[in-house]
Amino acid sequence: MTTVSDRLRDADPLRDEPARSDAERNRIRAVVLAAAADQLQRTEPMWRGRRAALVTALAVLAILALAAGSRLWSGGGVTVHAAAVRFEVRLAEIAFAPGLRPAPVVGSDRVIYLHPETIVTNDEILRSVVVPNRDGSGFGVAVTFNAAGAENMRRATASHLNAPLALLVDGDVISAPTLRSPISESAVVSGNFTQAEAERIAEGMRVHP
Amino acid sequence: MADVMPAMLPTDTADRLSTLVDRHYDRLYRLARRLAPGPDEARDLVQETFLKAARSVASVPLDPTAAEAWLVRVLVNIRRDAWRKAEVRSRYDETVRRADSVACDQESALIARATVWRALDTLAPRRRAVVVMRELEGLPIASIATLLGISAVTVRWHLAVGRRELARFLESHGGRHDHC
Repeated sequence: MTTVSDRLRDADPLRDEPARSDAERNRIRAVVLAAAADQLQRTEPMWRGRRAALVTALAVLAILALAAGSRLWSGGGVTVHAAAVRFEVRLAEIAFAPGLRPAPVVGSDRVIYLHPETIVTNDEILRSVVVPNRDGSGFGVAVTFNAAGAENMRRATASHLNAPLALLVDGDVISAPTLRSPISESAVVSGNFTQAEAERIAEGMRVHP
Repeated sequence: MADVMPAMLPTDTADRLSTLVDRHYDRLYRLARRLAPGPDEARDLVQETFLKAARSVASVPLDPTAAEAWLVRVLVNIRRDAWRKAEVRSRYDETVRRADSVACDQESALIARATVWRALDTLAPRRRAVVVMRELEGLPIASIATLLGISAVTVRWHLAVGRRELARFLESHGGRHDHC
């Protein structure tokens, strides 16, 4: 006699369905990461407000300290400017095609082929901060683009999946990751930078050369 | 090593969420597929579960077993909310679908399977989850209790009532394919 358990097992829809694909898992992962980033951005204005208050307080303290110091020490003043870093994002290919320019990827023996058009430059960067790499191997730079940059990135990357994206600093390709999902508002550029290098790049990115 | 992520996130948060998806996606999909009416609904259910995790990463336990239980409970709760909202509509759909299948479907085996699945649809999601975990996933009562955050006694009660409700439904719908 057939039991309820037998009938349930017989009717199990997973019996006849193909195994889940990696693509579906990757899609969910991308959606989840984007949602978490969105959540972060929505809660950030509050954090920015606090940071602004903190910066103001530190600036006031610095001015007071300078005013006090100038009475005690009359040494020459030093002005430090962040050195501009020319940052560009371009689409790239792994195989040569007419119109593409070959470029070595720094720190590897890879050569990629750059498209002539630049997707974003320093002008489209709203914010850049140093973040540790996900595998703890060094530091990278998290970049947030302005509206125009985000739109350029979205348009360019959506039709370039599974092909390389070239990130150039001062004309050198510092990394050429393969695009797994479209990018728009922000991206984390992680290379094998030391913290000091990453800070130099993050600061330099914010300077419009 | 080079990488570009689609969004700016602290790396520990991105790692946590990626690990959660990688570790629990298959398990959640299997459960969702057996709780939801079809594969599309199951995918939506899994996605919504992980989105809840993304919106409150800090509340997801670090321990993988506890994280699995957290995700399973969220998934069952989401399904329960959807089930409650759709209950009235599904009663109507049920009537229509039953009439259609009697008139059109000549495959008695398929009808029998569809009948079993309709029987499961009548169970409230938590009870259905208990039945699915026990009958299809073969989990021990204690594990089901841990996953759903309820006592073993409650699991046994859901299981007994669920089996009885299923048997009653199947008994009253069992001979339907003979009419085709």
